[in-house]
Amino acid sequence: MEVVIASSSDDAGIGCWDLRTGAEKLRYKTCASPPHGLVSVGGRFLASSQLREPSASSGSVLFWSWSKPQPEVKSFPAEPIKPLAANSLGTYIVGGGSSGNIYLWEVATGRLLKKWKAHLRGVTCLVFSEDDSLLISGSEDGCIRVWSLFRIFDDVQSQQASHLYEHSITEHSLPVTDIVTGYGGCNAILVSASKDRTCKVWSLSEGRLLRNIVFPSEIDVIALDPGEHVFYAGSRDGNIYIVALHAESKPSKVFGMHIIGLLSDHSKPVTCLAYSKEGNSLLSGSEDGMVKVWDLKTQNIIRMFRHAKGPVNNILIVKPQSSPNLSKRHGSLLPPPLEKYANSSDKETDNKAVIALQATISSTPEPFYYSSQLINDHIKELQQQGSAAAEIDVERLKLDCKRSMQMLQQWKKMYDNLHEFCVDELLDGHQVPGSEGNSA
Amino acid sequence: MVRSKAPSKKQQKRGIDFKKIKRKLGRKLPPPQNATNTEIKSKAIVLPEQSVAAEKTGLAVSRKGLTLKELLQQTSHHNSKVRRDALMGIKDLFVKHPAELKSHLYVVIGKLRERISDDDKLVREALYQLFKSVIFPGCNQDYEGPLISLMMAYIFCAMTNFSIEVRLMAFRFFDLVVQYYPGCFFSYAEKVLQNYEDILRQNKFYVEDKGKLKNALAGLVHCLSLLTSNKQEREKAIAEKKVLHAYELDAPTGVSISIDRLKELVQVLIGCFQEFIPLFNSTTELDAQSFHCILSILQSIDISMEFLICSILKETPQSKFLQVPDPTMLDQTFSSVLLKKLLGVFPLNPKYHLFGKEDDRFFVLNILISKTFLHLREWINPPASLFENYLEFIVNALLGKICSDTISGRAIWEKHLPSLLPFIPELVLEVAGDWQPRLLEAFTQTFKLCSPDSSLKLSCLSAVEKMLIPRGDTLDLDANDPVVVDYQISWIRELPILLILLGDKHPTSSQVVLRLILKVGQFACSISSRAIEYENIQYSIMEFFGTFQGGNICYGPFTKLPRDCQELSLSCVYYFSNINLDLLRSIASCFLCPELEPFLFFRSIEVLQSAYKAGHIQISDQLSFLITLVTRFNVDMESFRTFQTFKSLTCIVFSCLESMGDGSLILQMVEELILEQILLNLPIVNACAMLRVICKLDSKPTILSEKSIINLSNFLPAYLINVAQHIPEDDNDSTFSNCVHKRLYYLLPCVLLFDRSPRLLNIVLDMMGSLITGSSSSLPTCGYIQYQYTTDRLSQIKAIVSVLLSMHMDDKMRKNFFVFKTEIDHILQSIASLQTTNELQMNTEERHKLQLSCDQLKDIYK
Repeated sequence: MEVVIASSSDDAGIGCWDLRTGAEKLRYKTCASPPHGLVSVGGRFLASSQLREPSASSGSVLFWSWSKPQPEVKSFPAEPIKPLAANSLGTYIVGGGSSGNIYLWEVATGRLLKKWKAHLRGVTCLVFSEDDSLLISGSEDGCIRVWSLFRIFDDVQSQQASHLYEHSITEHSLPVTDIVTGYGGCNAILVSASKDRTCKVWSLSEGRLLRNIVFPSEIDVIALDPGEHVFYAGSRDGNIYIVALHAESKPSKVFGMHIIGLLSDHSKPVTCLAYSKEGNSLLSGSEDGMVKVWDLKTQNIIRMFRHAKGPVNNILIVKPQSSPNLSKRHGSLLPPPLEKYANSSDKETDNKAVIALQATISSTPEPFYYSSQLINDHIKELQQQGSAAAEIDVERLKLDCKRSMQMLQQWKKMYDNLHEFCVDELLDGHQVPGSEGNSA
Repeated sequence: MVRSKAPSKKQQKRGIDFKKIKRKLGRKLPPPQNATNTEIKSKAIVLPEQSVAAEKTGLAVSRKGLTLKELLQQTSHHNSKVRRDALMGIKDLFVKHPAELKSHLYVVIGKLRERISDDDKLVREALYQLFKSVIFPGCNQDYEGPLISLMMAYIFCAMTNFSIEVRLMAFRFFDLVVQYYPGCFFSYAEKVLQNYEDILRQNKFYVEDKGKLKNALAGLVHCLSLLTSNKQEREKAIAEKKVLHAYELDAPTGVSISIDRLKELVQVLIGCFQEFIPLFNSTTELDAQSFHCILSILQSIDISMEFLICSILKETPQSKFLQVPDPTMLDQTFSSVLLKKLLGVFPLNPKYHLFGKEDDRFFVLNILISKTFLHLREWINPPASLFENYLEFIVNALLGKICSDTISGRAIWEKHLPSLLPFIPELVLEVAGDWQPRLLEAFTQTFKLCSPDSSLKLSCLSAVEKMLIPRGDTLDLDANDPVVVDYQISWIRELPILLILLGDKHPTSSQVVLRLILKVGQFACSISSRAIEYENIQYSIMEFFGTFQGGNICYGPFTKLPRDCQELSLSCVYYFSNINLDLLRSIASCFLCPELEPFLFFRSIEVLQSAYKAGHIQISDQLSFLITLVTRFNVDMESFRTFQTFKSLTCIVFSCLESMGDGSLILQMVEELILEQILLNLPIVNACAMLRVICKLDSKPTILSEKSIINLSNFLPAYLINVAQHIPEDDNDSTFSNCVHKRLYYLLPCVLLFDRSPRLLNIVLDMMGSLITGSSSSLPTCGYIQYQYTTDRLSQIKAIVSVLLSMHMDDKMRKNFFVFKTEIDHILQSIASLQTTNELQMNTEERHKLQLSCDQLKDIYK
């Protein structure tokens, strides 16, 4: 079941609709999110950064579980956080501060694993690459930087190198408004939109400009077609432009190079877009508070959701994962709040190494990644528990083992007997028809 | 049936004539008399005009009347004069008939190439001219492959010819081919360089024939320069291609020159250079030819060393990351030769000082050697004294002390100094002691003194950029050295001045400057002194947009520069963290310029709106900027386009105002400003737009203050009468272009205002009534700039009636009018009384018309 989630910069809460039926679901309360500030963490819960007064000394990030309208966990990072991103499994949350810092938290423990100065001005958007190995950040000074998570945690190399980033792209002359990445490992593309009325296509691995598209208006948001034939660009003039990537495009005089069409129905600026694989549809949110669902084949609107009076500025399409009965039994399943400062205990060992461990009970075994600190905690827990109960367990297991061994022996014997019998039978059987033949 | 038998013939003859006929064996018998001649004979078909000379009509011929075929045959004539004439003829023919060249290209080349190694000098020269002026310009890129392979074999053959003359000429031919098809050099590079090396080794001829050597060396320089320029072009090509992921070869495009080959070449060149050293010590002047030879030699050495270093760096992968050159990577003996024989002899100075011209020549040579030295300095570990020698020279060169003061000397200085400038940023970081301030001082001097549009300025700018933004993305934060910071500040201050100096005549230079300003703005950290400097730029950049001088607007270069420059400058504005009102004013003044494209209005509003959202503009400033735009925009009522632009401009202003916050709050802030503007006798279109702004922000019932309502009521009657007088009534069959003058467009804001504030309507109706009765003789505000305003009462009355009629078309308005029935009755009565007294001296037709409209109005109320 796919669910559409939309939030607004007004304090209008987070709207939630079933994409297929259009039925409105629970409305999560008290949320005023900045653009790119709403994220679903691994499909387990919702997180959103909150707009703060410019003078506020700390930021605010709220978590909602799927079943409750009130925010359950509130955390207050050291500075106002605008864009928020989580990797696809929901292990990390990354937030971009208004001073240009990027914060990386581990979700399971809430620990601030790393904070680094990424840009000179505020971070405007944050995106993980398809394989979660790279983080791409855009900033108010028009700069785009590509960070390798691996290198960020490599202290030795980061001290040696003059910079942490993989690429720094400074072609945009005005603030970057949105970034999306494509598929395909080292051949993946990166599309960036900026207030300078252009979108630029880059090669993610090389940081090389592949294409520059000039629009008739500022582009606030982009969404990529999964086949990468085209991408969609939502603009300030209320149109959604369709731009050719691998699709064939003739130079059109109406809109400009590479722009092959437009979806136009919003009267106000389009502020967010989301592509849904279910039914090949595009969702667009606008400043007039509406969310519209476009059928991309016919380019018609097939559904509309009314969110609020204020502008919609985030849309997500999520498949919520948690089952309701579990949450009832355990109360809150949400992780602890995000820490404000990096913990000093980080330094004690080399525990920044990242290893795999399946920690939560889930139906499908998927690899989860946690820091060794967390694993140490688990080990400690196990050791503490392992007194009497564990010994009994061990005894029982030993007994089980013995019994199984005996059974095994028996089975083996039976098998041998059977085998012998069969061989005899076969040999005799062979002789019988032979002898018959002879006699005949 | 025809043929009779021979014996019967014999008998017949004998009968006639008794003479014995001798018959030779084998001779054919004469045909019988009755035989029918079966032979068919025909003569050639002869056309009347045919002659030897006219045989060539329809074929292309040269001036001497020879066809291409004949000419080509003559090119291998044993007489050199004939050969040369033939080549001239071919040239002549192709000039006259360019199509001939394309159809016979391969045949022609196939024949002509044999002449590359011709013995005769004049023939070779003629051939060269033929290729240069006709054949290569005439055939396009498609023929490249086969054409080159046709030529190359013969060129290489000529390069190894016994005669040196022929060999030198072959180099010229090769150079010519490379000029037209630069790509072909890479496939033959190794071989060609080998040949160059061979010929340069034969040092016998240097002294004798410098002119020839000069040509050959110039070719070498040209070829080598292809090695380095190759990369940038490829990058440019990528940015423009249409496919995102095209197949690309990983290997570099065929540059297969071994390092050893280049080293050999450099050593040979150094040998050549050594040959020339005695010239410096001689008493005679350094003549032009030797100067050019030395120049070419030095250039070749420089380029090959640059390429050599690049390829060495490429071959050792670990250096890619560290970027630290390792002296051991360059062959030790090789580097010592370089150091001793080339770099060590620096600076070159004439032993006997003669003329200014001499100075300039040596200056050029010294610059080249310094450049080579700067390329190599990290690879060869030069002794400190030598390094200082060079530094001294660079500082003096920057200050312009070395060149002569003549105009030509100055030109040479501006032309050759740029090659040193890219090294300045590195040098500044490298050098120790008082060299750093000296270098910086000298550089700053150069930067300030050189003429704004010169290439020297451009390379200065790129050096400044490197020093301000060292890694290309951050301003140098840890340069706490106050000396450096001072210089950096002085460079930043120089930028806007330069921008204004450049004016609108040099768009490329302006673009570079703007880009640099933008980068400074983008990467200035909020606290640093550079950020403060950037803020100060906005005071000096105002002139770039436009300034007010004694009430007149003086447009800056902004209005005339190409669009990308304009957009860049707007982006620069975005990054000022506190945009002041004066800058906004000067930007707004640009909008009055009729030449400015409408695109730019929208773009600048967009940029300023985002700047406002980012907190760079105060709300009151932004509001007054927007209001100013609407009030001051010049609308040419005749042109539909400007009206359309104005309409979309107001739309954008509306959306900006809306996104700024709650309408009523905004209205409170702008109310006074708007009314102040409205009372300033605006053109009707702008006044209408202002009323629309009020309507947009206002709500029902009105939140306008009492004072504003009074002000509006003073203004509205005049406005309405104006509308009625100048905008014809709406026809049902109005065409598209006519909708500029739709009356409803102008009345609608009033209708809305009246609907929201009945009191306003009341006052306005009262005023109209008193106008008609003449109790208030003239309108409180009168006189529009654009329209002649008639104070004639009759036309006023007509206008009032027609406005009232037009407004009745609106349903909402009709309801409102019924509330004030008494006032309208009053108006009608006063008109009626005027008619009876005939105070207005109307003629019958006018009277009738007026009566008709009054009746119409009366009907509505019945």
